[in-house]
Amino acid sequence: MLQHGPLLERLLAGDFICQVSDEDAFRHLSLEQTQQDINHYLRPLNRRLVSNDDNSVYFLAYHELNKAAREQLSGQFALTVQSLLPLLEWLQLVQETLGRDSALTAGDTIKLQEFVLRTEDNQSLRQRLNQLASDRFFNSQSDALDNQVKLIFRRLKEHGYLLQPHSDRQYYIVTGKIDYLIDVIRFIRDEEHLPVDDTPTQQAML
Amino acid sequence: MAPLDTGAASNLFNVGAERLALLGKHHKALMQGYLDGFIDEAAFSESALKKLIAARILWRPDEQQPLALRPLVSELIASMVADENRRQINADVAEKLEQIRNRVQAYRDAQYKGDYSVAELQLQRLTEHVHDLSGQFEEAIDSLWHRLNSDFGFVASLDDKIRENERAQKQLRRLLDGLVLLDFNELIELSEGNNQLRKLLVSQLQNQLSSHHSSLLEVQKRLVELLARFRQQQARSMLITNMAAFLRQHPKYQPADYPNRSDVPVLFNQAAAIQPQAAIALDKASERQILAELVRALPRSAAINLPDQQSASFAAVMEDEEIAARQQALKTDVENFYLRVIDKAGPLSALDYLAEHQLSWDSEIWLYQIIAEYQALPQDEKHMFAIKRDEVPASAVNSLLLIRDISLSLQAA
Repeated sequence: MLQHGPLLERLLAGDFICQVSDEDAFRHLSLEQTQQDINHYLRPLNRRLVSNDDNSVYFLAYHELNKAAREQLSGQFALTVQSLLPLLEWLQLVQETLGRDSALTAGDTIKLQEFVLRTEDNQSLRQRLNQLASDRFFNSQSDALDNQVKLIFRRLKEHGYLLQPHSDRQYYIVTGKIDYLIDVIRFIRDEEHLPVDDTPTQQAML
Repeated sequence: MAPLDTGAASNLFNVGAERLALLGKHHKALMQGYLDGFIDEAAFSESALKKLIAARILWRPDEQQPLALRPLVSELIASMVADENRRQINADVAEKLEQIRNRVQAYRDAQYKGDYSVAELQLQRLTEHVHDLSGQFEEAIDSLWHRLNSDFGFVASLDDKIRENERAQKQLRRLLDGLVLLDFNELIELSEGNNQLRKLLVSQLQNQLSSHHSSLLEVQKRLVELLARFRQQQARSMLITNMAAFLRQHPKYQPADYPNRSDVPVLFNQAAAIQPQAAIALDKASERQILAELVRALPRSAAINLPDQQSASFAAVMEDEEIAARQQALKTDVENFYLRVIDKAGPLSALDYLAEHQLSWDSEIWLYQIIAEYQALPQDEKHMFAIKRDEVPASAVNSLLLIRDISLSLQAA
């Protein structure tokens, strides 16, 4: 188990482990034997290893749901629900600003400077960014575009959606936690039968 | 086809060479025409236009339309520059197969008649047809790989990519259907009893076609994978757009309370963070050596810096802005006290003055500063002031005198 020490620490600290955030650890976690070892170790801590639907990201869940655990989960859930719209708007904004033809996925790289440059010259993008930055999820107090963008990306890094490979270089890599977010949205939609389509209609395909 | 005599052949050669040269002569304007989709007639002289039309390089598809490149020329350019937007794939195998059959028949007839030069020529043509057939597949496979490897980057939107991928898959199916048409039993029959034909039609063609076949299957597999990925991306984009729109329209929307269900979905079962803490264990004798080294390795810069600051000279401390400002304020107050003494006729007590003006100085410092100021006066000015110390002995047994107050008065010269 000693070899998985750093990985366990990351998991216990609440990190999401995916191929982008930690390639080696992710490979280990894909092995059934490692999963069993880790679960065995985590049992007294009331934790277990879980993953999203397509096993692209791993994190820790409670083993038994006692009162304290439920309370913690309720708080967590409220935060998740609150963050849905700002995160979705950010995804849309990045896709439109960088002129990408598809939504961000794990492993995509975003250059901060490019994002700023393209937003600067476009009044409507600028306005949307301004609005997004002042959302309480990001909670920016600044009016300066540069500060707003930096704050948004820093918050997303703190929440584990982005990875900054070099702290002195302003480029970010999207992590597998974005897959988790999409899964959450899909789950809520399916469970609550929301009128939210994700298959193109026949019209659009022709 | 009748065998060509040398005169006709040389004529063909001359015309072909001349017309190929036309392509080279007008290369820039023609390439511009390829990009624009029509020819700018002003870029050519009238006779050049006539020549290009006669050479079947340019044509006018319709009376109202501008001149354009003939489709075959466009195709040639598209293939040369691998322009996947315009590149054509020719999946027609039946026609080629028919030609091969006819050539074999003509070759056999010529051999039967003993007309060896004609037979030689027919064999030459037959070889060309076989190469054409193989080349047709090769070209198609090259085009498919090219599109695949660029992720269909030659079209901009994801929808277009999906459409292009589907088109490529249809082409691929036609190519595979074409391969099925090639019946090797028939080819073996055709080449029966002739080594050269057997080599050309059976061993060579079969080899090439089987390698084409496996390439096509590989391309097909990759195209299907890529299409699945495109569709996934498309679904994700739509989900993001539509969900964001839904949440914007329903700002008060609140999903069910999943964390308090009896069966909590795994997505919402995200355990609280635990930060494992550890401290040095002193009970393990074996680790003392390592611990000692760690302690020794601790940086000590802070301990070295402190005495440096303490040993700074008094003057250096005085340079501190805040202290200097206080010093200056004290001096000003003392000067004001002296001016008051000059204004007032009688003696003035320093402590009374301090109390009267509600100055915040410590009385001892106040008295020191007044004495210091007095001592600092030039000798002749000192005489102008009479300084009177109010002193008491420290105790009955100690003759040390303590200054309790000072009164100052202006002395007549």
